[in-house]
Amino acid sequence: MDTVVKFTSQTQGKVHVFRATQFACALSTHVLKSNPDRRDLVAKLQDVEANMNAGRKLFRLGNTINSIEAANRSMQLSDRVLCLCLTAANVSRALYSLCDNVLWASSVGLIRDINKECWSLQSSRYYLLSLIMNLTRDFYVVLQLIMQRARDKHFRQKMSQHVSESPEVAEVVIPQLDALLFLLFESLKSHPSVALDTLKNICDLFGPLNKLGIYQTNAGVVACCGLISSMVGILTFAKPNLNINT
Amino acid sequence: MDSWLRFSAQSQAKERLVRAAQYACTLLGYTLQKGGAAAELRRTVSQLEAHMSLTRKLLRLGNSVEALEAAKRAIHLSDSVLRLCLTVSHLNRAMYFACDNVLWAGKTGLISKLDQQKWSQRSFRYYLFALILNLTRDVYELRLLMECEARYRATKAPPSPYPSTTLPNNSPTAALPVMSVRLRKQLHLFVTVLFSNPPLLLDLLKNSCDIFIPLDRLGIYPTGTGFVGACGLASSVLSILTMVHPWLKLKP
Repeated sequence: MDTVVKFTSQTQGKVHVFRATQFACALSTHVLKSNPDRRDLVAKLQDVEANMNAGRKLFRLGNTINSIEAANRSMQLSDRVLCLCLTAANVSRALYSLCDNVLWASSVGLIRDINKECWSLQSSRYYLLSLIMNLTRDFYVVLQLIMQRARDKHFRQKMSQHVSESPEVAEVVIPQLDALLFLLFESLKSHPSVALDTLKNICDLFGPLNKLGIYQTNAGVVACCGLISSMVGILTFAKPNLNINT
Repeated sequence: MDSWLRFSAQSQAKERLVRAAQYACTLLGYTLQKGGAAAELRRTVSQLEAHMSLTRKLLRLGNSVEALEAAKRAIHLSDSVLRLCLTVSHLNRAMYFACDNVLWAGKTGLISKLDQQKWSQRSFRYYLFALILNLTRDVYELRLLMECEARYRATKAPPSPYPSTTLPNNSPTAALPVMSVRLRKQLHLFVTVLFSNPPLLLDLLKNSCDIFIPLDRLGIYPTGTGFVGACGLASSVLSILTMVHPWLKLKP
Protein backbone atom coordinates (compact mmCIF):
# COMPACT_ATOMS: atom_id res chain seq x y z
CA MET A 1 0.00 0.00 0.00
CA ASP A 2 2.79 2.37 0.97
CA THR A 3 4.58 1.74 -2.34
CA VAL A 4 1.40 2.56 -4.29
CA VAL A 5 0.95 5.83 -2.37
CA LYS A 6 4.60 6.79 -2.92
CA PHE A 7 4.38 5.85 -6.60
CA THR A 8 1.14 7.72 -7.37
CA SER A 9 2.21 10.81 -5.42
CA GLN A 10 4.83 11.51 -8.09
CA THR A 11 3.87 13.03 -11.43
CA GLN A 12 5.94 10.66 -13.54
CA GLY A 13 4.48 7.62 -11.80
CA LYS A 14 0.94 8.60 -12.74
CA VAL A 15 1.97 9.59 -16.27
CA HIS A 16 3.50 6.14 -16.86
CA VAL A 17 0.31 4.45 -15.63
CA PHE A 18 -1.86 6.64 -17.90
CA ARG A 19 0.43 5.94 -20.85
CA ALA A 20 0.25 2.19 -20.23
CA THR A 21 -3.55 2.41 -19.99
CA GLN A 22 -3.72 4.42 -23.21
CA PHE A 23 -1.68 1.87 -25.16
CA ALA A 24 -3.54 -1.05 -23.56
CA CYS A 25 -6.80 0.51 -24.79
CA ALA A 26 -5.30 1.07 -28.26
CA LEU A 27 -4.14 -2.56 -28.41
CA SER A 28 -7.51 -3.89 -27.22
CA THR A 29 -9.27 -1.70 -29.80
CA HIS A 30 -7.05 -3.09 -32.56
CA VAL A 31 -7.69 -6.69 -31.47
CA LEU A 32 -11.47 -6.28 -31.05
CA LYS A 33 -12.03 -4.01 -34.05
CA SER A 34 -12.84 -6.87 -36.43
CA ASN A 35 -15.42 -8.35 -34.04
CA PRO A 36 -18.86 -6.81 -34.80
CA ASP A 37 -20.31 -8.00 -31.46
CA ARG A 38 -17.81 -5.89 -29.54
CA ARG A 39 -18.57 -2.58 -31.25
CA ASP A 40 -19.87 -1.05 -28.01
CA LEU A 41 -16.78 -2.09 -26.05
CA VAL A 42 -14.49 -0.77 -28.80
CA ALA A 43 -16.24 2.62 -28.64
CA LYS A 44 -15.75 2.73 -24.85
CA LEU A 45 -12.09 1.80 -25.15
CA GLN A 46 -11.56 4.51 -27.77
CA ASP A 47 -13.18 7.06 -25.44
CA VAL A 48 -10.89 6.05 -22.57
CA GLU A 49 -7.86 6.17 -24.87
CA ALA A 50 -8.77 9.68 -26.06
CA ASN A 51 -9.34 10.78 -22.46
CA MET A 52 -5.97 9.40 -21.34
CA ASN A 53 -4.24 11.08 -24.28
CA ALA A 54 -5.85 14.46 -23.53
CA GLY A 55 -5.02 14.12 -19.84
CA ARG A 56 -1.40 13.28 -20.57
CA LYS A 57 -1.09 16.26 -22.91
CA LEU A 58 -2.32 18.61 -20.19
CA PHE A 59 -0.08 16.92 -17.63
CA ARG A 60 2.96 17.46 -19.87
CA LEU A 61 2.48 21.24 -20.08
CA GLY A 62 5.51 22.09 -17.94
CA ASN A 63 7.82 19.44 -19.38
CA THR A 64 9.66 21.79 -21.75
CA ILE A 65 11.28 23.46 -18.72
CA ASN A 66 12.23 20.05 -17.30
CA SER A 67 13.88 19.05 -20.59
CA ILE A 68 15.79 22.33 -20.87
CA GLU A 69 17.01 21.87 -17.30
CA ALA A 70 18.08 18.29 -18.12
CA ALA A 71 19.94 19.58 -21.20
CA ASN A 72 21.71 22.13 -19.00
CA ARG A 73 22.83 19.36 -16.66
CA SER A 74 23.96 17.00 -19.44
CA MET A 75 26.14 19.75 -20.93
CA GLN A 76 28.40 19.46 -17.90
CA LEU A 77 29.21 15.77 -18.54
CA SER A 78 32.90 14.99 -19.04
CA ASP A 79 32.34 12.24 -21.65
CA ARG A 80 32.03 13.97 -25.05
CA VAL A 81 29.78 11.34 -26.65
CA LEU A 82 27.41 11.21 -23.67
CA CYS A 83 27.40 15.00 -23.49
CA LEU A 84 26.45 15.33 -27.17
CA CYS A 85 23.85 12.54 -27.19
CA LEU A 86 22.07 13.52 -23.99
CA THR A 87 22.08 17.27 -24.67
CA ALA A 88 20.70 16.73 -28.19
CA ALA A 89 18.11 14.25 -26.85
CA ASN A 90 16.94 16.67 -24.16
CA VAL A 91 16.76 19.65 -26.53
CA SER A 92 14.76 17.52 -28.99
CA ARG A 93 12.47 16.46 -26.15
CA ALA A 94 11.97 20.10 -25.17
CA LEU A 95 10.96 20.96 -28.75
CA TYR A 96 8.70 17.91 -28.90
CA SER A 97 7.00 19.03 -25.66
CA LEU A 98 6.58 22.51 -27.10
CA CYS A 99 4.86 21.17 -30.22
CA ASP A 100 2.72 18.97 -27.98
CA ASN A 101 1.65 22.03 -25.97
CA VAL A 102 0.63 23.84 -29.16
CA LEU A 103 -1.39 20.79 -30.22
CA TRP A 104 -3.08 20.67 -26.80
CA ALA A 105 -3.94 24.38 -26.96
CA SER A 106 -5.39 23.79 -30.41
CA SER A 107 -7.46 20.80 -29.26
CA VAL A 108 -9.11 22.82 -26.47
CA GLY A 109 -9.75 25.76 -28.78
CA LEU A 110 -7.22 28.20 -27.33
CA ILE A 111 -5.35 28.45 -30.64
CA ARG A 112 -7.20 28.47 -33.93
CA ASP A 113 -6.13 28.39 -37.58
CA ILE A 114 -3.10 26.13 -37.18
CA ASN A 115 -2.22 23.16 -39.33
CA LYS A 116 -2.65 20.35 -36.79
CA GLU A 117 -1.22 17.72 -39.13
CA CYS A 118 1.91 19.79 -39.74
CA TRP A 119 2.47 20.38 -36.02
CA SER A 120 1.82 16.72 -35.24
CA LEU A 121 4.42 15.61 -37.80
CA GLN A 122 6.90 18.17 -36.47
CA SER A 123 6.31 16.87 -32.95
CA SER A 124 6.93 13.28 -34.14
CA ARG A 125 10.13 14.38 -35.88
CA TYR A 126 11.54 15.86 -32.68
CA TYR A 127 10.43 12.79 -30.72
CA LEU A 128 12.15 10.50 -33.24
CA LEU A 129 15.36 12.53 -33.08
CA SER A 130 15.27 12.37 -29.28
CA LEU A 131 14.85 8.58 -29.38
CA ILE A 132 17.67 8.15 -31.92
CA MET A 133 19.99 10.15 -29.68
CA ASN A 134 18.96 8.08 -26.66
CA LEU A 135 19.58 4.86 -28.59
CA THR A 136 22.98 6.14 -29.73
CA ARG A 137 23.81 6.73 -26.07
CA ASP A 138 22.61 3.20 -25.20
CA PHE A 139 24.74 1.60 -27.93
CA TYR A 140 27.73 3.67 -26.82
CA VAL A 141 27.30 2.49 -23.21
CA VAL A 142 26.87 -1.13 -24.38
CA LEU A 143 30.04 -0.83 -26.49
CA GLN A 144 31.94 0.50 -23.48
CA LEU A 145 30.69 -2.41 -21.36
CA ILE A 146 31.72 -4.94 -24.03
CA MET A 147 35.21 -3.44 -24.31
CA GLN A 148 35.51 -3.42 -20.53
CA ARG A 149 34.51 -7.10 -20.41
CA ALA A 150 36.83 -8.08 -23.26
CA ARG A 151 39.80 -6.69 -21.31
CA ASP A 152 38.88 -8.70 -18.21
CA LYS A 153 41.04 -11.87 -17.88
CA HIS A 154 38.49 -13.87 -15.88
CA PHE A 155 35.84 -13.13 -18.42
CA ARG A 156 38.07 -14.14 -21.35
CA GLN A 157 38.57 -17.53 -19.72
CA LYS A 158 34.81 -17.86 -19.21
CA MET A 159 34.22 -16.97 -22.87
CA SER A 160 36.73 -19.48 -24.27
CA GLN A 161 35.19 -22.11 -21.99
CA HIS A 162 31.74 -21.28 -23.40
CA VAL A 163 32.96 -21.64 -27.02
CA SER A 164 34.81 -24.93 -26.34
CA GLU A 165 31.86 -26.33 -24.36
CA SER A 166 29.62 -26.44 -27.42
CA PRO A 167 31.70 -27.45 -30.46
CA GLU A 168 28.65 -28.49 -32.53
CA VAL A 169 27.25 -24.97 -32.15
CA ALA A 170 30.63 -23.45 -32.88
CA GLU A 171 30.75 -25.30 -36.20
CA VAL A 172 27.47 -23.81 -37.33
CA VAL A 173 27.95 -20.33 -35.92
CA ILE A 174 31.01 -18.23 -36.65
CA PRO A 175 33.09 -18.46 -33.43
CA GLN A 176 33.78 -14.70 -33.42
CA LEU A 177 30.07 -13.93 -33.72
CA ASP A 178 29.24 -16.42 -30.98
CA ALA A 179 31.86 -14.83 -28.74
CA LEU A 180 30.52 -11.36 -29.50
CA LEU A 181 26.93 -12.38 -28.75
CA PHE A 182 28.04 -14.06 -25.53
CA LEU A 183 29.91 -10.89 -24.60
CA LEU A 184 26.88 -8.74 -25.39
CA PHE A 185 24.50 -10.99 -23.47
CA GLU A 186 26.74 -11.13 -20.40
CA SER A 187 27.29 -7.35 -20.44
CA LEU A 188 23.56 -6.65 -20.58
CA LYS A 189 22.82 -9.29 -17.95
CA SER A 190 25.17 -7.61 -15.51
CA HIS A 191 23.72 -4.15 -16.34
CA PRO A 192 19.91 -4.56 -16.53
CA SER A 193 19.39 -0.78 -16.49
CA VAL A 194 21.12 -0.45 -19.88
CA ALA A 195 19.19 -3.42 -21.29
CA LEU A 196 15.85 -1.99 -20.13
CA ASP A 197 16.59 1.49 -21.46
CA THR A 198 17.59 0.05 -24.84
CA LEU A 199 14.43 -2.08 -24.97
CA LYS A 200 12.28 0.91 -23.99
CA ASN A 201 13.78 3.18 -26.65
CA ILE A 202 13.53 0.51 -29.38
CA CYS A 203 9.86 -0.02 -28.52
CA ASP A 204 9.18 3.72 -28.51
CA LEU A 205 10.81 4.08 -31.92
CA PHE A 206 7.93 2.33 -33.73
CA GLY A 207 5.45 5.12 -32.89
CA PRO A 208 7.11 8.05 -34.69
CA LEU A 209 8.48 5.79 -37.47
CA ASN A 210 4.94 4.69 -38.26
CA LYS A 211 3.49 8.20 -37.98
CA LEU A 212 6.13 9.74 -40.24
CA GLY A 213 5.72 6.92 -42.77
CA ILE A 214 9.40 5.94 -42.56
CA TYR A 215 8.67 2.39 -41.45
CA GLN A 216 4.98 1.64 -41.49
CA THR A 217 3.58 -1.08 -39.27
CA ASN A 218 0.03 -0.99 -37.90
CA ALA A 219 -1.85 0.35 -34.88
CA GLY A 220 -1.53 -3.02 -33.12
CA VAL A 221 2.27 -3.14 -33.32
CA VAL A 222 2.59 0.51 -32.25
CA ALA A 223 0.23 -0.06 -29.30
CA CYS A 224 1.99 -3.27 -28.26
CA CYS A 225 5.40 -1.59 -28.37
CA GLY A 226 4.01 1.41 -26.50
CA LEU A 227 2.59 -0.86 -23.82
CA ILE A 228 5.92 -2.71 -23.39
CA SER A 229 7.75 0.62 -23.22
CA SER A 230 5.30 1.93 -20.59
CA MET A 231 5.67 -1.23 -18.50
CA VAL A 232 9.45 -0.84 -18.61
CA GLY A 233 8.96 2.82 -17.65
CA ILE A 234 6.83 1.84 -14.65
CA LEU A 235 9.39 -0.80 -13.64
CA THR A 236 12.35 1.59 -13.79
CA PHE A 237 10.36 4.23 -11.91
CA ALA A 238 9.26 1.81 -9.17
CA LYS A 239 12.79 0.41 -8.81
CA PRO A 240 15.22 3.34 -9.23
CA ASN A 241 18.25 0.99 -9.34
CA LEU A 242 16.94 -0.19 -12.75
CA ASN A 243 16.97 3.35 -14.09
CA ILE A 244 19.95 4.20 -16.29
CA ASN A 245 22.14 6.89 -14.71
CA THR A 246 23.26 10.09 -16.52
CA MET B 1 14.04 26.66 -11.95
CA ASP B 2 15.05 24.06 -9.39
CA SER B 3 12.04 24.75 -7.19
CA TRP B 4 9.76 24.40 -10.24
CA LEU B 5 11.25 20.96 -11.00
CA ARG B 6 10.72 19.87 -7.40
CA PHE B 7 7.19 21.28 -7.43
CA SER B 8 6.10 19.75 -10.75
CA ALA B 9 7.48 16.35 -9.75
CA GLN B 10 4.58 15.97 -7.29
CA SER B 11 1.32 14.87 -8.89
CA GLN B 12 -0.71 16.80 -6.29
CA ALA B 13 1.11 20.00 -7.23
CA LYS B 14 0.14 19.66 -10.87
CA GLU B 15 -3.41 18.78 -9.85
CA ARG B 16 -3.54 22.00 -7.81
CA LEU B 17 -2.29 24.03 -10.77
CA VAL B 18 -4.97 22.49 -12.99
CA ARG B 19 -7.55 23.23 -10.26
CA ALA B 20 -6.44 26.87 -10.11
CA ALA B 21 -6.72 27.09 -13.90
CA GLN B 22 -10.17 25.47 -13.80
CA TYR B 23 -11.56 27.94 -11.26
CA ALA B 24 -9.86 30.81 -13.08
CA CYS B 25 -11.83 29.71 -16.15
CA THR B 26 -15.03 29.59 -14.06
CA LEU B 27 -14.40 33.14 -12.85
CA LEU B 28 -13.42 34.31 -16.32
CA GLY B 29 -16.54 32.71 -17.80
CA TYR B 30 -18.71 34.55 -15.28
CA THR B 31 -16.92 37.86 -15.98
CA LEU B 32 -17.30 37.41 -19.74
CA GLN B 33 -20.98 36.59 -19.33
CA LYS B 34 -21.51 39.72 -17.24
CA GLY B 35 -19.53 41.81 -19.69
CA GLY B 36 -21.52 40.46 -22.62
CA ALA B 37 -18.54 38.99 -24.46
CA ALA B 38 -18.78 37.00 -27.69
CA ALA B 39 -20.53 33.64 -27.39
CA GLU B 40 -17.63 31.87 -29.09
CA LEU B 41 -15.12 33.11 -26.52
CA ARG B 42 -17.44 32.08 -23.70
CA ARG B 43 -17.79 28.65 -25.27
CA THR B 44 -14.00 28.27 -25.51
CA VAL B 45 -13.55 29.16 -21.83
CA SER B 46 -16.36 26.79 -20.84
CA GLN B 47 -14.83 24.01 -22.96
CA LEU B 48 -11.43 24.59 -21.36
CA GLU B 49 -12.98 24.47 -17.88
CA ALA B 50 -14.72 21.16 -18.67
CA HIS B 51 -11.44 19.76 -20.03
CA MET B 52 -9.59 20.79 -16.85
CA SER B 53 -12.31 19.25 -14.69
CA LEU B 54 -12.20 15.93 -16.54
CA THR B 55 -8.39 15.85 -16.43
CA ARG B 56 -8.45 16.49 -12.68
CA LYS B 57 -10.85 13.58 -12.28
CA LEU B 58 -8.35 11.43 -14.17
CA LEU B 59 -5.46 12.63 -12.00
CA ARG B 60 -7.38 11.80 -8.84
CA LEU B 61 -7.96 8.15 -9.78
CA GLY B 62 -5.62 6.73 -7.13
CA ASN B 63 -6.42 9.23 -4.40
CA SER B 64 -8.91 7.05 -2.50
CA VAL B 65 -6.01 4.81 -1.46
CA GLU B 66 -4.04 7.85 -0.26
CA ALA B 67 -7.02 9.13 1.75
CA LEU B 68 -7.49 5.71 3.39
CA GLU B 69 -3.78 5.62 4.25
CA ALA B 70 -4.09 9.09 5.81
CA ALA B 71 -7.11 7.89 7.82
CA LYS B 72 -5.09 4.92 9.07
CA ARG B 73 -2.35 7.29 10.20
CA ALA B 74 -4.82 9.67 11.88
CA ILE B 75 -6.27 6.84 14.01
CA HIS B 76 -3.03 6.75 16.02
CA LEU B 77 -3.16 10.42 17.11
CA SER B 78 -3.16 10.94 20.87
CA ASP B 79 -5.61 13.89 20.91
CA SER B 80 -9.11 12.38 20.75
CA VAL B 81 -10.74 15.41 19.06
CA LEU B 82 -8.06 15.59 16.38
CA ARG B 83 -8.21 11.82 15.95
CA LEU B 84 -11.98 11.88 15.41
CA CYS B 85 -11.98 14.92 13.10
CA LEU B 86 -9.07 13.84 10.92
CA THR B 87 -9.99 10.15 10.64
CA VAL B 88 -13.61 10.84 9.68
CA SER B 89 -12.49 13.68 7.37
CA HIS B 90 -10.08 11.38 5.52
CA LEU B 91 -12.71 8.65 5.24
CA ASN B 92 -15.12 11.17 3.74
CA ARG B 93 -12.42 12.30 1.35
CA ALA B 94 -11.89 8.67 0.32
CA MET B 95 -15.63 8.34 -0.37
CA TYR B 96 -15.61 11.63 -2.28
CA PHE B 97 -12.75 10.41 -4.46
CA ALA B 98 -14.51 7.08 -5.03
CA CYS B 99 -17.65 8.92 -6.22
CA ASP B 100 -15.42 11.14 -8.35
CA ASN B 101 -13.90 8.04 -9.97
CA VAL B 102 -17.38 6.72 -10.78
CA LEU B 103 -18.22 10.12 -12.29
CA TRP B 104 -15.04 10.00 -14.39
CA ALA B 105 -16.03 6.55 -15.65
CA GLY B 106 -19.46 7.93 -16.52
CA LYS B 107 -18.07 10.98 -18.30
CA THR B 108 -15.63 8.94 -20.40
CA GLY B 109 -18.38 6.51 -21.37
CA LEU B 110 -17.15 3.48 -19.42
CA ILE B 111 -20.41 3.41 -17.46
CA SER B 112 -23.06 4.39 -19.96
CA LYS B 113 -26.27 4.44 -17.89
CA LEU B 114 -24.96 6.49 -14.98
CA ASP B 115 -27.07 9.12 -13.24
CA GLN B 116 -24.32 11.75 -13.23
CA GLN B 117 -26.41 14.29 -11.33
CA LYS B 118 -27.05 11.87 -8.46
CA TRP B 119 -23.40 10.81 -8.23
CA SER B 120 -22.24 14.43 -8.39
CA GLN B 121 -24.55 15.35 -5.50
CA ARG B 122 -23.33 12.34 -3.52
CA SER B 123 -19.71 13.31 -4.20
CA PHE B 124 -20.31 16.90 -3.03
CA ARG B 125 -22.05 15.67 0.13
CA TYR B 126 -18.94 13.74 1.15
CA TYR B 127 -16.75 16.70 0.20
CA LEU B 128 -18.87 19.06 2.32
CA PHE B 129 -18.72 16.75 5.33
CA ALA B 130 -14.94 16.43 4.98
CA LEU B 131 -14.63 20.23 4.89
CA ILE B 132 -16.90 20.69 7.93
CA LEU B 133 -14.69 18.30 9.88
CA ASN B 134 -11.55 20.09 8.70
CA LEU B 135 -13.03 23.40 9.82
CA THR B 136 -13.99 21.85 13.18
CA ARG B 137 -10.39 20.76 13.57
CA ASP B 138 -9.17 24.28 12.70
CA VAL B 139 -11.53 25.87 15.24
CA TYR B 140 -10.43 23.34 17.88
CA GLU B 141 -6.74 24.08 17.24
CA LEU B 142 -7.51 27.79 17.36
CA ARG B 143 -9.32 27.44 20.70
CA LEU B 144 -6.40 25.50 22.18
CA LEU B 145 -3.90 28.11 21.04
CA MET B 146 -6.09 30.96 22.31
CA GLU B 147 -6.38 29.31 25.73
CA CYS B 148 -2.62 28.79 25.79
CA GLU B 149 -1.99 32.44 24.82
CA ALA B 150 -4.52 33.69 27.41
CA ARG B 151 -2.80 31.66 30.14
CA TYR B 152 0.59 33.02 29.07
CA ARG B 153 -0.74 36.60 29.20
CA ALA B 154 -2.33 36.03 32.60
CA THR B 155 0.98 34.90 34.08
CA LYS B 156 2.82 37.83 32.51
CA ALA B 157 0.31 40.61 33.30
CA PRO B 158 0.33 42.14 36.85
CA PRO B 159 -2.90 41.98 38.94
CA SER B 160 -5.29 44.96 38.62
CA PRO B 161 -4.34 47.79 41.04
CA TYR B 162 -7.96 48.95 41.34
CA PRO B 163 -10.11 46.01 42.39
CA SER B 164 -12.90 48.36 43.54
CA THR B 165 -13.44 49.66 40.00
CA THR B 166 -14.77 46.33 38.76
CA LEU B 167 -18.41 46.76 37.90
CA PRO B 168 -21.15 44.81 39.66
CA ASN B 169 -22.63 41.98 37.62
CA ASN B 170 -26.27 42.62 38.53
CA SER B 171 -26.53 45.83 36.47
CA PRO B 172 -27.23 45.02 32.78
CA THR B 173 -26.25 48.49 31.53
CA ALA B 174 -23.03 48.40 33.48
CA ALA B 175 -22.22 44.95 32.10
CA LEU B 176 -22.21 46.22 28.48
CA PRO B 177 -18.82 48.00 28.58
CA VAL B 178 -17.32 44.96 30.30
CA MET B 179 -18.70 42.71 27.54
CA SER B 180 -17.33 45.08 24.93
CA VAL B 181 -13.87 45.07 26.53
CA ARG B 182 -13.94 41.28 26.87
CA LEU B 183 -15.02 40.89 23.26
CA ARG B 184 -12.28 43.25 22.09
CA LYS B 185 -9.75 41.28 24.14
CA GLN B 186 -10.95 38.01 22.63
CA LEU B 187 -10.81 39.48 19.14
CA HIS B 188 -7.29 40.76 19.74
CA LEU B 189 -6.30 37.36 21.06
CA PHE B 190 -7.89 35.67 18.02
CA VAL B 191 -5.99 37.90 15.57
CA THR B 192 -2.70 37.53 17.48
CA VAL B 193 -2.96 33.73 17.56
CA LEU B 194 -3.86 33.49 13.87
CA PHE B 195 -1.07 35.77 12.73
CA SER B 196 1.49 33.99 14.87
CA ASN B 197 0.40 30.65 13.34
CA PRO B 198 0.42 31.05 9.52
CA PRO B 199 -0.25 27.31 8.85
CA LEU B 200 -3.48 27.46 10.85
CA LEU B 201 -4.50 30.77 9.26
CA LEU B 202 -3.94 29.42 5.75
CA ASP B 203 -5.77 26.16 6.46
CA LEU B 204 -8.71 28.06 7.95
CA LEU B 205 -8.85 30.40 4.95
CA LYS B 206 -8.52 27.52 2.50
CA ASN B 207 -11.31 25.47 4.08
CA SER B 208 -13.52 28.54 4.43
CA CYS B 209 -13.11 29.26 0.71
CA ASP B 210 -13.64 25.62 -0.24
CA ILE B 211 -16.85 25.21 1.74
CA PHE B 212 -18.77 27.58 -0.55
CA ILE B 213 -18.27 25.22 -3.52
CA PRO B 214 -20.28 22.23 -2.20
CA LEU B 215 -22.75 24.56 -0.46
CA ASP B 216 -23.51 26.16 -3.82
CA ARG B 217 -23.59 22.89 -5.79
CA LEU B 218 -25.90 21.21 -3.27
CA GLY B 219 -28.19 24.25 -3.23
CA ILE B 220 -27.79 24.71 0.54
CA TYR B 221 -26.38 28.22 0.16
CA PRO B 222 -26.36 29.30 -3.50
CA THR B 223 -23.80 32.02 -4.18
CA GLY B 224 -23.34 31.97 -7.95
CA THR B 225 -20.66 30.97 -10.43
CA GLY B 226 -18.50 34.05 -9.96
CA PHE B 227 -18.21 33.68 -6.20
CA VAL B 228 -17.57 29.92 -6.47
CA GLY B 229 -14.87 30.60 -9.07
CA ALA B 230 -13.20 33.22 -6.88
CA CYS B 231 -13.31 30.98 -3.80
CA GLY B 232 -11.96 28.00 -5.73
CA LEU B 233 -9.15 30.08 -7.19
CA ALA B 234 -8.22 31.56 -3.80
CA SER B 235 -8.25 28.10 -2.19
CA SER B 236 -6.08 26.65 -4.99
CA VAL B 237 -3.54 29.47 -4.70
CA LEU B 238 -3.33 28.92 -0.92
CA SER B 239 -2.92 25.20 -1.50
CA ILE B 240 -0.10 25.80 -4.00
CA LEU B 241 1.52 28.11 -1.45
CA THR B 242 1.55 25.35 1.19
CA MET B 243 3.21 23.04 -1.33
CA VAL B 244 5.89 25.53 -2.32
CA HIS B 245 6.59 26.28 1.35
CA PRO B 246 5.98 23.02 3.29
CA TRP B 247 6.35 24.79 6.66
CA LEU B 248 3.03 26.53 5.91
CA LYS B 249 1.22 23.18 5.88
CA LEU B 250 -0.81 22.44 8.99
CA LYS B 251 0.37 19.29 10.78
CA PRO B 252 -0.74 16.62 11.56
